[in-house]
Amino acid sequence: MMNLILRRLAALPIILLVVYSITVVLAFAIPGNPVENPEKRPKPEVVEQMKKQYNIDSFPNFYISYLDSATGFEYLRDRLSGQIARERQLAIDEGLPPPIRPIFDFGPSLKYDDKTVNEIIADSLPVSVTLGASAILIALIIGTISGVVGAVKPNSIADLSTLSIAMIGISLPSFVTGTIMLLVFSIWLGWFPVAQWGTLRSIALPAFALSLPFAAYIARLTRMGMIEALGADYIRTARAKGNPERVVLIKHALKNAFLPVLSYLGPATAFAMTGSFVIERVFTVPGMGEHFVSAVQNSDYFLIIGVVLVFSTMLIVFNLAVDILYRWIDPRIG
Amino acid sequence: MYRLLVPIVLLLILIGVSVLSDKPTTRADLVFINSSDVNTLDPQRMSWMHDLRTARLIFEGLVRNDVLSHDFDIEPAVAESWTISDDAQTYTFIIREDAKWSNGEPVTAEDFRYSWRRAMLPDLVSDYAAMFMNIKGAQAFYDWRTEQLDAFSDREFDSPTDRQQQAYALWDETKSKFDELVGMRSPDPNTLIIELEKPIPYFLELCGFGVFMPVYEPLVSQYERPDPETARLIRRPGWTRGGVLVSNGPFTLERWRMKRDMRLEKNPHYWDRDSIAIDSIDIPSINDPNAGVLAYQTGAVDWIADVTASYRGEMVAQKLQYLAEHADQVEQLRAQGLDQFAIDRQLPPNPRAHTHAVSSFGTYFYNFNCKPFLSDGQPNPFADARVRRAFAMCIDKRAVANQVRRLGEPTARTLIPPGSIGGYTSPKGLPNIGDAEDSAARDAIIAESRRLLDEAGFPEDFVVTLSFNKDAGHDLIAQTIAKSWQKHLGIQTRLDQKEIKIFRDDLKDKQYMTARAGWFGDYGDPTTFLDINYSTDGNNDRAYNNPHYDDLLDRASVELDPEKRMELLSEAERIIVEVDVPLVPVFHYATIYMFDPHKVTGLSTHPRTKQNAFLIDMLGDGKGPDQPRPMHAPASESEDDES
Repeated sequence: MMNLILRRLAALPIILLVVYSITVVLAFAIPGNPVENPEKRPKPEVVEQMKKQYNIDSFPNFYISYLDSATGFEYLRDRLSGQIARERQLAIDEGLPPPIRPIFDFGPSLKYDDKTVNEIIADSLPVSVTLGASAILIALIIGTISGVVGAVKPNSIADLSTLSIAMIGISLPSFVTGTIMLLVFSIWLGWFPVAQWGTLRSIALPAFALSLPFAAYIARLTRMGMIEALGADYIRTARAKGNPERVVLIKHALKNAFLPVLSYLGPATAFAMTGSFVIERVFTVPGMGEHFVSAVQNSDYFLIIGVVLVFSTMLIVFNLAVDILYRWIDPRIG
Repeated sequence: MYRLLVPIVLLLILIGVSVLSDKPTTRADLVFINSSDVNTLDPQRMSWMHDLRTARLIFEGLVRNDVLSHDFDIEPAVAESWTISDDAQTYTFIIREDAKWSNGEPVTAEDFRYSWRRAMLPDLVSDYAAMFMNIKGAQAFYDWRTEQLDAFSDREFDSPTDRQQQAYALWDETKSKFDELVGMRSPDPNTLIIELEKPIPYFLELCGFGVFMPVYEPLVSQYERPDPETARLIRRPGWTRGGVLVSNGPFTLERWRMKRDMRLEKNPHYWDRDSIAIDSIDIPSINDPNAGVLAYQTGAVDWIADVTASYRGEMVAQKLQYLAEHADQVEQLRAQGLDQFAIDRQLPPNPRAHTHAVSSFGTYFYNFNCKPFLSDGQPNPFADARVRRAFAMCIDKRAVANQVRRLGEPTARTLIPPGSIGGYTSPKGLPNIGDAEDSAARDAIIAESRRLLDEAGFPEDFVVTLSFNKDAGHDLIAQTIAKSWQKHLGIQTRLDQKEIKIFRDDLKDKQYMTARAGWFGDYGDPTTFLDINYSTDGNNDRAYNNPHYDDLLDRASVELDPEKRMELLSEAERIIVEVDVPLVPVFHYATIYMFDPHKVTGLSTHPRTKQNAFLIDMLGDGKGPDQPRPMHAPASESEDDES
């Protein structure tokens, strides 16, 4: 087990470097450039100046300097040279809060240049994590229950209806389901607030909307796993021993049927937690999904790379977490 | 078995932690949706209307516009008074004693020198640096710094340390160069003397513009230091965070979460704090147009500053219907001189009355490419002013405004929205088929247009291209215009829809025949619109070049008599909209607000569309006077500080 964790952690920086390199290349391949904004037309010399300032006039310079600050080397240098201590002292002398110097500095946002990418991610990631975790939780509960129900009596009305609801959940785009829910539950019934974030009530509706496709997928995985497990010899043995059906279903069958769900949970959680652009738009959730789209539209290189790196890290970490859980739940897997 | 519950428990812990760490705050006295997310709170780097709107809440300049007055009078702000020299080139501002930063420190003349110097630095790439170049020596200072920076990048250095030291030395030299070159002096902390290169009749207007608002040097200077490599001042983000930003306006920044919300609290050190009737403001970031309207309907929002929902046309139609139901009363109230919001307040409450179409300081127009040859080398028929006039007259502007836009916007005959600038008389403009009184008048305009085309020898079978970008309904407007030209002039047309980035490049390169455009004024002077037609102006997308027009603007810029100056400018606009017609104004923009007139007061109906949201009073909340704040006539003589 330790071996696995160490191996994965060792691979993390290499994977991130590859992801980083590909992202920088793709970001630079976007037509247009971040310092020219569509409505105001800056003068050519202004554009030149900004390109110089942010190192985006040269690909190698940008590649190296971003790597330098994002990996923490720049912080380390400034720390050792005493630069950071000097700045702190200067602020304290003036009676002002000292400047924030993050160790891993993802740079400024080019579109919102009062904000650093670190701040933007710090503001939006917790929101996305809450939304994503709630959605996965709902999906797990709904998906597992309906999967088990369906598997107990395959092709029954209960099974067929959960299956068709699952199909609808997978195939209906979330801007349709989300908008309908908003209309019915928030506007007509007035149960949930509109365009607010922070309370459990405000989280419920977007989390439910986001959970639908995941729930549908989990239901199908559970159902398949359960049907397979219920036909296995050890279930017949369990029944023969006189175990109540509830114990047979949950303790013996579900335990095995759940494993495919678990391995799906890793990437699903990472996806759900890094935000869904559509759900965030429809329910006005201030999460990270928005940045994946708008950063590209604005050619905001620093932000694009920042969110991609955060997403990749989460994907790797959650996959690792799932692998650990997997081995712990089912020790047969070595 | 219990192990299966572990993922669920982990998720629950995660949710619990993040929900608990994110405490909801109480609702602010005023909640409004800005037209878009604020890009920056650094006044010197602002250029967006919604940024400037927020800046006026947090910062305060030397003077400000009284947005509730009919003439948008200049009134004292940080400066309690000012004098202007006889040659109109020296302004002396007296800064009020009780002007304070939000940490209690006094606002001084030095603060303005520091802030305006920031805008004059090429390092900072301020969008509005050009406005500061009216100040004596500013251009020389800008050029000097640019030269030094260029020279620095070519220089050889012994070591990186040497390079860094030289970069800092250059920065020190720059600061003393500013003192030496630029005509901004402060003999004492409360006196600011500004010398101009030439008389600028609208200089006070500029002093009230957001870019001219001061920043707090001890804070900001820490985030700006010369880059050891290039010697350029590098601007690091961080000082505009909530709780960090030190400002001098009616409100302070409590919290600013990207794409989420901004929270402002009343500034306890603001000199005029007693006149502020709200204690806190929330500006949630709601970018989905429908979500904004829904949030308003549930009562979570008090004012939407720019409704963009696709059904806003219907909302405006319902409002007009509502006004029509009370036509007699509206007529009566209008005769009493009440503004549109005050009228709404007199009528019985109704959700339909919450929609407000407010005229804006902007115009939608069509550009004509005035170059003699088109980009494909063919002779350009639009190089002939007669052709441009004919095409201009035969656009059915009424149809565009009433059937396509449907926001109750006025059709435009001039570039500058009439009545938006005090003391300025707009020219009449060309007649237009959409405005013709009857079909006879309409036929006469069409006949005249056809005659002009014949006279100019407009080539038969020539296909006119209309270029536009694919967003915001420009396609429907282009179709309407094209139909007008086909029907009335018998011209063949082609619609050319482009991506905004490509469209913009094509305009710059003059790769078009006719193209849609829009312009919003920055400050209250005709030049904010007229300058875009100056032959060498960066925004002259039409390649328009008339030495007589340039000469009129040049003469106006040195004319000291305000009346004569306005006449010169009016004549210049007449040439644009009646004679040369490099562009056809189609309609003047309206902005759609949503607010309950029985609940919110203090918003301006002035066509400059500038709101000082700190003037808002929420009626019946027990804070402030709770009296309606309507538009009022010009300030009385006794309050006149100008000399």
